[in-house]
Amino acid sequence: MKAMKLIRWAAMGLSVLMGVRSSVAATSPWEQPAAAMAEKIAGILGPGQAHLSIRNLSRISNEDVPAIRKLLEEDLKMHGVTVSDDESANSIRVTLSENTRARLWVAEVAEGSVTQAALVQLAPEGEQPAQTAGGLKLRAETILTSREPVLAALETANGLVVLEPEQILFETRGPAGWHEQSRASIGQKRPLPRDPKGILMPDGGAGFEAWLAGTQCKGSFEPAPSPGQWTVSCYASDDPWPLPQFENATPVKAFFNGARNYFTGVVTPNDGADPPHFYAAGWIARAGGGAAMVIGSIDGKVLMIENGALKPIAGTRDWGSDFAVIHSGCGTGTQIIASSSGEAAADSLRAYEFPALEAIPVSAPLELLGTIMVLWPAPDGKTVLAAVRGAANRYEVDRVSALCN
Amino acid sequence: MFRRFAISCFVALLTLPAAARTRPHYGGTLHVEIEGDPWQRPNGIARRLVFDGLTTLDTTGAVQSALASGWESDNADHRWQFRLRPGVYFHDGSLLTSTAVVQSLNLDCPANCPWATVHAVGSMVVFTNDSPMPNLPALLAGDDFLIALTVSADGKTSSGDIGTGPFQVTSFNNGLLVLGANETCWQGRPFADAIEIRVHRAVHDQWLDLSIGRAEMVEVPAEMIRQAQQQRLKVLVSPPAELLALEISDNGALANPMMRAAIAASIDRSALSNVIFQKQGEVTASLLPQSLTGFSFLFPVDRDLNKAHELRGGLTTPTLTLSVDGDGAMRLAAQRIALNLKEAGFNAQEGSDGGAQHADLMLRLIPLEGGEPFAVLEDVSRSVGQTVLLPDSSPTSLYRAERDFLDRHTLIPLVDLPRAYAAGARVRDLALDAHDLPDLASASLEDAP
Repeated sequence: MKAMKLIRWAAMGLSVLMGVRSSVAATSPWEQPAAAMAEKIAGILGPGQAHLSIRNLSRISNEDVPAIRKLLEEDLKMHGVTVSDDESANSIRVTLSENTRARLWVAEVAEGSVTQAALVQLAPEGEQPAQTAGGLKLRAETILTSREPVLAALETANGLVVLEPEQILFETRGPAGWHEQSRASIGQKRPLPRDPKGILMPDGGAGFEAWLAGTQCKGSFEPAPSPGQWTVSCYASDDPWPLPQFENATPVKAFFNGARNYFTGVVTPNDGADPPHFYAAGWIARAGGGAAMVIGSIDGKVLMIENGALKPIAGTRDWGSDFAVIHSGCGTGTQIIASSSGEAAADSLRAYEFPALEAIPVSAPLELLGTIMVLWPAPDGKTVLAAVRGAANRYEVDRVSALCN
Repeated sequence: MFRRFAISCFVALLTLPAAARTRPHYGGTLHVEIEGDPWQRPNGIARRLVFDGLTTLDTTGAVQSALASGWESDNADHRWQFRLRPGVYFHDGSLLTSTAVVQSLNLDCPANCPWATVHAVGSMVVFTNDSPMPNLPALLAGDDFLIALTVSADGKTSSGDIGTGPFQVTSFNNGLLVLGANETCWQGRPFADAIEIRVHRAVHDQWLDLSIGRAEMVEVPAEMIRQAQQQRLKVLVSPPAELLALEISDNGALANPMMRAAIAASIDRSALSNVIFQKQGEVTASLLPQSLTGFSFLFPVDRDLNKAHELRGGLTTPTLTLSVDGDGAMRLAAQRIALNLKEAGFNAQEGSDGGAQHADLMLRLIPLEGGEPFAVLEDVSRSVGQTVLLPDSSPTSLYRAERDFLDRHTLIPLVDLPRAYAAGARVRDLALDAHDLPDLASASLEDAP
């Protein structure tokens, strides 16, 4: 055993002195697991010769297998195990495997008739980057990931406010992105619906207002003492929720059904139209001047409310339940970003314009990495924030912007 | 003829373009048909609709809070305390209390529990044990430990069907269990107003009812998944949800471990999977599926008749009794195993279910619940009255614990089987939960009002 350790130290020392490692290993993500695997194999086998075979049962690209083999051979050599192509009494079969949570490398080390196993678990895989699409280009940038459902998020001068079903989180920006500063419990008195919805709006100052079923919250920020502190007060409320506003027009509010997942259709002030139950609403500028409200009703139809009349909008068959208005400055200046319909595993977003009573797509679909839970416009109106539920119930908030061609 | 026509109509409906997808609608009644008992343990379809556990599992199998809002352990996992979620009510309107939870757990688990004592302390439920319980939060998510009201507010014994879940029992008459939406469910009201579960319905009748719109969700046994897919039913198939295994008594004729090892070596798993279960299972010699561990291939699955004879060493046993927990495909599997054993020099005779406790061999399905491999291993071993030693949470420890368990040759894993269901075109957002059961509380009807 002591001799084995001496050999290992000598080999490692030699390696350090020479400062030599293959170029493959210099930046390889497989370097660490290969070293750990080799150490475990050598611990079973001791110095000597062995035949090495590798099979890949994981999602690792087969193109990576030769590099992994090379790393393993080098590391085994450092531990005194020489890999030989000849038939040998000793054999090592390494399986690149995985389970639902992590990659796992398994070595079956056979010495004569005795086989022992060595296992090395690898760190979880990194996340995939968001996709972008062509045309009037939509671009998504992930600004937050969370294990908890995100109902809404709001970027303020004092940090990011995140509305979850049971609490409000405050995040500050650090070198590695947003990190949690504090959290406040909402303390609802009654259960939220199964498909909960909430909104966050700036209060005109440094604070915010939040609405979710049966509850309203106000948040204020005290800058001193540094780094500042958020104060939140929540109370039971069935007051109407504010809808996204059009420029300097009179703010419109709508009553939300706190036991369901939609607005009741009762809006205030009401210009004479009688909207049905709806999921989402936004304002768009009309060619002749003025603005019209667009609503996504719960039966899947998209309607425009203009001059006190409800008018169906064509070309919205592919729309899901969520949309938000974006003032991109491209094309007519204003578009609606709508979620997709259908039963695909992942949803997409697409931009539309309304030259008449028809939605015309003006961008290619932007594929997201999960199901869109909610969309809402950022306070500046130039971007849209999307909460997405991805694989393994991981939530993320994406900032979606439109780039002019 | 009519059935074929009806199924053809259904297939045609499936091919129609889908309407725009909106958020889920509230309302309507979901019609479900099953072959068995909705309250059967484990995993009767009504159980998780009516009852909740202290914890639950998310779709990745990770433990999440449920009736307990949080938990802590101390004394090296010998003691756990679970804080109850405030403001949760049973369907009869009584408040969920720690005393009610303890009463339910004591009723559910009179013996062989993962804990030695459980008691109520204020709003806490406290578990203690002489040995560490590192997996207790995951184990409490299991079907065995769902919380039911045992004593009603007026001090009378409860009917046992009152829980805190998304649906409450409305009636159970003439083979029809009717569940109504729990408006004040702590997880939010379910989308459907009601679920009607027609029980003891033969699978072919279920499929017929699905095809003519009398049912929105029906069962698909593993051995019929391919047939359902060929008929273009909308089938939801889980990952491995149940382990088909042969339990071997270590008493009497099979007290000798070499004889048990010989039985293990003699079984042709591939034939079971390919013929009986129509290639819908995964042959396995490990307790935990490959998807949970990543190393199930370390347990060889191949039949080795020479080794079986060698291990038996010419010894003979009296005729072995083989009991079967189930019918249909399970009985066919038992008959095939008896043939395999005969080729290895054993005589096995299929016995009735009534003799299960005294049988030498018992073919059974063991649920594989959750995504925490250590908890699943503990659960599986507990289900056959055994324990495993897990010193830490490394893959190496897990492998060694599984290897030690299997080296006893008292439980022979054979095939990992999925659970499957077929859903009608009206149902949307129907998915299987972490327990591989349909999450009917989160499903809705396309044409709900």
